[in-house]
Amino acid sequence: MWDLSKRSLVRRLVLLAGIWNLVVLLVAGVFLTAQFRDAAIRRFDQSLAVLTDDLYAGSTVEDGVLKAPVLTDIRATRAYSGRYWTIFDQPAGGGGLNVIERSRSLFDSDLMIPVEQSERLMSEPGRTLYFDLKGPQNRPLRAAALLARLPGYPRPVVFIAAEDRSPIDADADRFGRITTVALVILGAGLIAAVVVQVRVGLLPLFRLRREVASVRRGKAEKLEGAYPEELEPLAVELNALLSHNQEVVERQRTHVGNLAHALKTPLSVMLTEAGQQPGSLADVVARQAQTMREQVDHHLRRARAAARSQTSGERTPVEPILDELAVTLERIFQDKGVEIDWRCPEDLCFQGERQDFMELAGNVMENAGKWCKGKVRAEAVASSADKLTLTVDDDGPGLPPDRWIDALKRGQRMDEHTPGSGLGLSIVDELARAYGGSVTLGASPLGGLRVTLVLPRSEGD
Amino acid sequence: MRILLVEDDPDLSRQLKLALGDAGYAVDHAADGEEAQFLGETEPYDAVVLDLGLPKVDGVSVLERWRRGNVATPVLILTARGSWNEKVAGFDAGADDYLTKPFHTEELLARLRALLRRSSGHASPTLSCGGLRLDPRAARASVNGEPLRLTSLEYRLLHYMMMHQGRVIGRTELVEHLYDQDFDRDSNTIEVFIGRLRKKLGSDRIETVRGLGYRLTPLEGETTE
Repeated sequence: MWDLSKRSLVRRLVLLAGIWNLVVLLVAGVFLTAQFRDAAIRRFDQSLAVLTDDLYAGSTVEDGVLKAPVLTDIRATRAYSGRYWTIFDQPAGGGGLNVIERSRSLFDSDLMIPVEQSERLMSEPGRTLYFDLKGPQNRPLRAAALLARLPGYPRPVVFIAAEDRSPIDADADRFGRITTVALVILGAGLIAAVVVQVRVGLLPLFRLRREVASVRRGKAEKLEGAYPEELEPLAVELNALLSHNQEVVERQRTHVGNLAHALKTPLSVMLTEAGQQPGSLADVVARQAQTMREQVDHHLRRARAAARSQTSGERTPVEPILDELAVTLERIFQDKGVEIDWRCPEDLCFQGERQDFMELAGNVMENAGKWCKGKVRAEAVASSADKLTLTVDDDGPGLPPDRWIDALKRGQRMDEHTPGSGLGLSIVDELARAYGGSVTLGASPLGGLRVTLVLPRSEGD
Repeated sequence: MRILLVEDDPDLSRQLKLALGDAGYAVDHAADGEEAQFLGETEPYDAVVLDLGLPKVDGVSVLERWRRGNVATPVLILTARGSWNEKVAGFDAGADDYLTKPFHTEELLARLRALLRRSSGHASPTLSCGGLRLDPRAARASVNGEPLRLTSLEYRLLHYMMMHQGRVIGRTELVEHLYDQDFDRDSNTIEVFIGRLRKKLGSDRIETVRGLGYRLTPLEGETTE
């Protein structure tokens, strides 16, 4: 037996409707054919009964000899015409029936009444019985027989009329064939109608599936479509689930953030205290506090990046972020006089959260600002249907090609002499990966480092 | 030099007061947002070191209130939250510099020195064009008192246009003043920057003179002081 719960809903509905149709049509076909055959035989029997009655009514007894009536039916006079009659009498003392008279159509053969039928005739005198028998040339015959007594005749007489039944059998068979063909066509039509009905009926379900898929791929934030009343609650529940998930992720991230940030002030105190009281203890404290700080930063970012894997369908316009970052970074590097020249199409959108794009672009641009001699260029473009590329160049010393890979690894500190900050690119790498993007380093035409970020893009709608 | 230190953690406050005092600054301390706001509005400080996580009123709100009340004292923000989102929010509120906890005291002192040096430049005349105002000393511009957030290239372009306001300036001339000579950017550079300036200043202030260039003019009804 199949596990229905795992089969296609369409197939399941069509299958059930199909089985039901098959049963109904089969029963209807068998019933109709049987009815037709019954009705035909009843009509046939009636005409035979008329003949038996005519024989009975027309027979006369003259001087103890039974005379058959003269019948007008021509068919009973032609040899093997298919219509026959015979009059028997039952000899005293039982035994077989004696032929008294028979139709000429019988020619030289006799109607043989089966034994069980003759017994029935004996037990039910005066009643017309109908049965099948084999006639001349082995034709199947239908017969009507009546056992009666005639006045002046000493023995019971049996009148029997028979006719070849193959025409009605042929009729019934033909009816059966026509009915079968008609019902098969009807069945096929019904199945087709069911398939269409199920397909059309399930369309909202397919639409729901597409919408859920686009939410998962981050193309939409929630289910937007209007659904029939059976699916509407499901859509509502799904939306509630989505927003609940969002909340949980958000809360989790806030908790991790709060914990990490709560540790930072005490770390500051320890670092400062250690700085103010030189000695071996202070060195240990300073070193350990530094390690703790890096750990806190690392895990804070990990938590952010991890939360990102269940991305929502948020769209973040890139242009305003680059503008804000450029203004802010120029302020931060004011003493150095850093000039950030950025370009971005106004309609370019990042597929993801605003604060993540800010983190990604901010770290890359800050890194460029830190190392440049004075010029940073940032350019964001739509590089393919679903990707955007942010290229950040600086005119600083750059990195030799053999360091391009290392620089992205966690914990690599490229600038040991600038206290309290690494390249910041390992964070970018982690976050970009969480978004299914990438970071690569290279040589910049400005002379320094070129960082290329490839990130998911959200198409404008 | 008089510094206002706003920090709620007693240990960190004590350490910073000590370090700032050693560096030769006179230090006032506020432990919550309300007190900080009051002190900042009433006392003439040369700089403020402002922690963002404060009881009563948070640091960003204090800063916003100061800036709205025209308190121009340079502010260095201290915060545990180092994400770019928060840095940008801090600068938006009017911060001049930003330091993420945990930090080294020397770094704080160095940043503070730079901040004080920048704000103590010589006064130079402010340029204005209607409601538009540009202060070359602080490299800041504002529209009707609202500070503008400009990148240095945008600022440079605006500065040049304000010095030549009312005159039609050609694209080539603008490009030459925007970039070094050897700098080649795509041909629509000026359009890009004019577009950005219009977005920030309001679109009517920079007029396009077909075939010739651009002209900066006060809005109708505005008078240049």
